[in-house]
Amino acid sequence: MNDVLHSHTPIALRRVTFTYAGATEPALRDVTLTVPAGQICAVIGRAGAGKSTLCALCAGFVPHFFHGRLDGEAVVDGLPIATHPIAELVRHVALVGSNAFSQISGARFTVYDEVAFGLENLGVPREEMIARVEWALQALGIDQLRDRSPYALSGGQQQRMVIAAALAMRPPVLALDEPTAQLDPPAMAELAAVLHSLSRQGITILVAEHRLEWVAEVAERVVALDRGALLADGAPADVLTDPRLCERGIGWPRPTQIAARARAEGRWAPDRSLPITVTDLAAGLRAAAPDQASMNGQDGASRSAVVQPLDGTDGALSVAHSAEPIVTLDEVHFTYPAGVEALRGVSLAVRRGERIALVGRNGAGKSTLLRHLNGLLRPARGRALVGGVDTRTTTVARCARHVGVVFQDVRNQLFARTVRDEIRFGPRNLGFAPEKIDALTEAAIDALDLREVVDEHPYDLPPARRRLVAIAAVLAMDTTLLALDEPTAGLDHTSIGLLMRLIDDLAARRRSVLVVSHDIDFCYEALDRVVLMRDGQIALDGRFADLDRAQREALDSDVGLPIALRLRYVSP
Amino acid sequence: MQRTGLFIERAGFLQRLNPLTKATGALLLIGATFLLPAPLTGAALLGGGLLPLALASLVARRFLDILLKTLLPVLISLVLVQGLFFPTADPTIVAIGPLLFRRAGLQFALDTGSRLLVVAGAPLLLFQTTHPGMLVQALIQSGMPRSIGYILLVALQLIPAISERAVGVAEAQRARGLETEGNVLQRIRGVLPLISPLIVGALVEAEERAMAIEARAFNAPGPKTWVRAIPDPPAERMARIAMLTALGTLVVWRVATFFSG
Repeated sequence: MNDVLHSHTPIALRRVTFTYAGATEPALRDVTLTVPAGQICAVIGRAGAGKSTLCALCAGFVPHFFHGRLDGEAVVDGLPIATHPIAELVRHVALVGSNAFSQISGARFTVYDEVAFGLENLGVPREEMIARVEWALQALGIDQLRDRSPYALSGGQQQRMVIAAALAMRPPVLALDEPTAQLDPPAMAELAAVLHSLSRQGITILVAEHRLEWVAEVAERVVALDRGALLADGAPADVLTDPRLCERGIGWPRPTQIAARARAEGRWAPDRSLPITVTDLAAGLRAAAPDQASMNGQDGASRSAVVQPLDGTDGALSVAHSAEPIVTLDEVHFTYPAGVEALRGVSLAVRRGERIALVGRNGAGKSTLLRHLNGLLRPARGRALVGGVDTRTTTVARCARHVGVVFQDVRNQLFARTVRDEIRFGPRNLGFAPEKIDALTEAAIDALDLREVVDEHPYDLPPARRRLVAIAAVLAMDTTLLALDEPTAGLDHTSIGLLMRLIDDLAARRRSVLVVSHDIDFCYEALDRVVLMRDGQIALDGRFADLDRAQREALDSDVGLPIALRLRYVSP
Repeated sequence: MQRTGLFIERAGFLQRLNPLTKATGALLLIGATFLLPAPLTGAALLGGGLLPLALASLVARRFLDILLKTLLPVLISLVLVQGLFFPTADPTIVAIGPLLFRRAGLQFALDTGSRLLVVAGAPLLLFQTTHPGMLVQALIQSGMPRSIGYILLVALQLIPAISERAVGVAEAQRARGLETEGNVLQRIRGVLPLISPLIVGALVEAEERAMAIEARAFNAPGPKTWVRAIPDPPAERMARIAMLTALGTLVVWRVATFFSG
């Protein structure tokens, strides 16, 4: 074996090819990668490109837990992966997956004990263990949750806890697989700060991630994978602006996309390289047009042409307000049996052809409101009308003719043997004629690009594809309102593009879409009305295009501003 | 701390003791109710042992609440059935209102009922005053295999987690027009979409959980440590030895009297 690989380079892969047992195609092809100590190396690529496999390989789970054929040399912190069991490798490398819930050990009753669990197993002396647990809790900002049950946390909190639990083990190498999947923007910024601080302490970090804007902020190096092979490897500013990323469906970070459009329109200096961060984008736009009103934060300024949001002035939307609402919430109050008052006088009308973003911090009442749209929850006071009928006098199944809801955890939804059967389930429940069921099913399959997997079991698909199946299954119910809870979680650039086209098509057919999401940029690009919830009330209800300064500040303080709006906020 | 099983977090007498001491005590009480032959042994152990301990541990109300809610129907039927129909040569009758009870039957019911209360009450008090995590930790530290401890704890936590998931599954399928409120036929049709995601989800999670505990060094070789210390002063160790000796003595004495009698 090569001597270089034996030295203590944290991650050293040479010509690694790995094929999962039973698979026909390799998941990693001829990958050579050396990551020096203290580097934050991001791995990007489409869903199924091999990012998770690479993370699992660096922690030894490939090939010791997920079996298959491994060729080439993989050495982590001086240990050849192939010949060292996971039980030994855990002292050298920690792996954190994207689904936080299933990484909770289940053996500990508080967050504090959960974070200590790995250290107990490593036999760390108690005093040192306590110090490390305290440090990890502080580093991830979950100190105040220490006495809570791991199962009583929100998804974002659980994610931070499992990262804290891995960090407490103080591995020289940390492999994170989509760590931001369940985080809101403030938590993502905190995680970036934590990773920078760890890297300064010499910890090597490999992080697989879809959110390229976050990668641009956090990574010191970016590796792009395409169908298991290295596509690009280098500095973020080079890799993230590489045209091949767009060709292969990985996409660019939003600031790069915006600048590229500005360049095409002659508003970006031809000799200036494309930016990857908002700060550089703003600087570049200012340099190209220092006197533009769109850059100086004036209220009511028309949307700059550098961004291509929905202009929201088409005919369909202007007549929307005259039509009968699909759902009307009228002064709705709701209190959970445990006494939490989740909705406090919410009034909202959803009309045909509307594209609505429902945003707010965790616990603001978004999920409770979502469950009032189809009668899963019924108002304690006030009333909810679905298709003109009070939800207290009807069943959820009847509301489902008007409103389809795709919940965030698609595992709760999928059960059929094939993708096609799964999609047929909803329209069959609604009692449509067989021909109509067939037509709706096939249309939904095409809308979500699932034709090639229609006969597969939904659970045999990668998680991102599974989410598309769940959306198709509700889309096929042909409801006038489609409500999606965090639809972009875990989706790659191509799938998000698919979703945007779907939303456009629905609006053009006078169907409405309501999206609950932390992804404020997606909301801005795909939707036009924004409803901000705060403490069980609607704090803001308006169109992205018409937000005044106070409204933008309200949005900014709770969920952050879309990049395109932030640009106009930057003072010259 | 979150509510965990039966455990009630209070700063009482039993809460300060080592879980093993309490478990040994519970074992001794249960053994004694059966081994001591005197009439009304159970009642004596209940009144003289369990109740004062529950009071000293500040859990008496919840203790009696759970114990009686669970056992009262059994106790009442015991008194009625045994009191009225107990086969005995003793003709003594006790009249309570319009009911004529046989004295021997009542005595049998009282004896059996109080034993039942001790047998159920001793573990109940143990679990009300001992965090399950601490109990399992103490058992592992005294030699129980870690994997068995892990299974016990996961079972305790996963039951609420699974029932929460069941709610999520029902919501997702009702949102797809599944009628769960209709007639029997409709409900039978609805079983598969409700059960299947639960089972598949549990299987997938089992693999992920195996991976998660591997990642947390569960199988790493070498000695283990614990973040929480469980005090075990010499006095308690002495007490455990004394209690086990007492239990052993009772068994020997009972066997001896059985063969000599």
